[in-house]
Amino acid sequence: MTTKATINRLATRVPGLDEVLGGGLPEFSFNLIAGPPGCGKTTLAHQIMFALATPERPAIYFIVLGEPPLKMLRYQQQFDFFDSEAINDSVRFVCLSDEAMSGDLDRVLVRIVEEVTARNPRLVFVDSFRSVVIANESGGSPRTSLQLFVQQLGMLMTSWQATTFLVGEYFNETDANPVFTVADGLIWLRQSVQRNSMVRKLEIVKMRGQATLPGLHTFRIDNAGIRVFAPPHVVATGSAAPEAAVHARRALMGVPALDDMLGGGLPRGYSLLVAGPSGSGKSILAAAFLAEGARCGETGVVAAFEQHPNRVRNPVLIDLIARGQVGLIDSREPDLSIDEITLLILTEVRRLKASRVVLDSLSGFELALAPTFKTDFRESLLGLVTALAHAGVSVLMTSELEDRYTDLRFSPYGAAFLTDAIIVQRYIEIDSRLLRVMAVVKVRASHHSNELRLYTIDDAGICMGAMLPEQEGLLGGRPTRKHVPGLPALSGGADGA
Amino acid sequence: MPLKSAEGLRWPASLADRVTDGADAGQVADAVVAIWLEIDQVLHPIIGQRGVAALYNRSLHLAAVTYPWLAIDKPGFPVQVDPSALRSALAQRTAAEAAVGGNALFHAFHELLASLVGASLTDRLLRSVWTHSSPGSTAQDTSL
Repeated sequence: MTTKATINRLATRVPGLDEVLGGGLPEFSFNLIAGPPGCGKTTLAHQIMFALATPERPAIYFIVLGEPPLKMLRYQQQFDFFDSEAINDSVRFVCLSDEAMSGDLDRVLVRIVEEVTARNPRLVFVDSFRSVVIANESGGSPRTSLQLFVQQLGMLMTSWQATTFLVGEYFNETDANPVFTVADGLIWLRQSVQRNSMVRKLEIVKMRGQATLPGLHTFRIDNAGIRVFAPPHVVATGSAAPEAAVHARRALMGVPALDDMLGGGLPRGYSLLVAGPSGSGKSILAAAFLAEGARCGETGVVAAFEQHPNRVRNPVLIDLIARGQVGLIDSREPDLSIDEITLLILTEVRRLKASRVVLDSLSGFELALAPTFKTDFRESLLGLVTALAHAGVSVLMTSELEDRYTDLRFSPYGAAFLTDAIIVQRYIEIDSRLLRVMAVVKVRASHHSNELRLYTIDDAGICMGAMLPEQEGLLGGRPTRKHVPGLPALSGGADGA
Repeated sequence: MPLKSAEGLRWPASLADRVTDGADAGQVADAVVAIWLEIDQVLHPIIGQRGVAALYNRSLHLAAVTYPWLAIDKPGFPVQVDPSALRSALAQRTAAEAAVGGNALFHAFHELLASLVGASLTDRLLRSVWTHSSPGSTAQDTSL
């Protein structure tokens, strides 16, 4: 029989936060929510409170100074989580501004003790505990008082078995180390501003007794409240992998000749990069990939980052979306993070039990990201691809490739090494015509063709053509005719196979 | 629970519950003041004494537009609700005038609070006041 204390974890129900916390908040913990003004501290505190408070587990929210209570109630009720009916029932607001204004910390503590004794709350919030001290700063040494105040409060709340949150404004972490020592948990909220984009980030600096996810996690505040975007690998766990029967077969591309070139289609769970210059038919191939899936009874998800918002122009795709066989992610939110996009995609994959995902295109995707993420684009993309692979879906990504005839390039991001398979499309000039060729460059752990084949695009989609054995130097863009006697001259037209 | 959604119905009902027919102005004034003390009791833990006092004074100011004899708000920063001036102002009118003025003041207050924190939260906060219980009981004691 074990005699160890059991630490229960409270699910905050703030999307993503429990994952980042490593499974929820430890019961009876003493936590600080800190950060600069306007970063969402009070919102986070309210959201946690309304999620956790029940008549059996009541909460008290002490409003010290700072925001006038009326204003706080006015703004917080805009969020979906705010529940007027809970107020004065499972949730109780207590204004301590009169005590705080006196500048006497003991009076504030006495009031808190009184209320806690009278109500026996299981959750206690103090917003903002920092202003208590600022009010006190005129007399005596503020740091000692603050530490004493927080220590006494911590002792008191632990003995009352209350999970406690102190909300406070801090501009940097070195600001008040002594206070941070006392706390069991420290949730730090930040706003990163770069050019005219603003990205909110959250960090669990400390959480005693459990393994949290390290680093900065982006979050967004909208009408529903705060949504934290946990890293892709965490989000992906628990994804339902497509059924084994589906797994056994390769994913066909919707272009039979291309399937042959791939060695029988794209192996399941692979990521495929389709790289080519503007207008080479990458999106059309992507649509064919989804349409073929739909034909076989599979569902798919397309994340579109095209230059024309709200408008997917491919008729095949429009039809698939309308019939619900393909889910569209067309996020026009500003300042996207890769974690957010990953979450959107995986949520949609789970909803539709999708087995195919299209990202069209990486270039548009990069443009849609907030500037602060662009430096880590490759790392984040790797996270996204890994998460999707973990979820068991086959991924097709398109990448705009500037036509360069001096070197053979597949992607401007070095994304090539991230993917399991690569198809490259190029323009070539033959007989005063601009023709297209396509080749399968790589299919990891699989046999594949090494042919460089002509292809055309018409109303029916992509049509693979022949090789050009009598030409050489195709990848240089300006092939020359080999002198092979007996071969007929190339007509130059698009000679569908 | 007499939760009527039509604005303005609650306060007269609340006041009417407490004042019997044929009451004189002094009794109406006492009833109005008693309600104000309950409002203060219910709200000051949440928004602070100064917060309630500020709303109270602003309500007097608003109601005085129609009933100039209600222009009794004191100058300066209000520290707490002090209904003694209101009591004497009401007691000097006829019973009917006092009831109408008292209702107008409650109405102004209700509108003001609802404009700030919304009708549903206002209703939630003030529910115990207009679901009239015995005088002296506070909202805080009934819910836990």
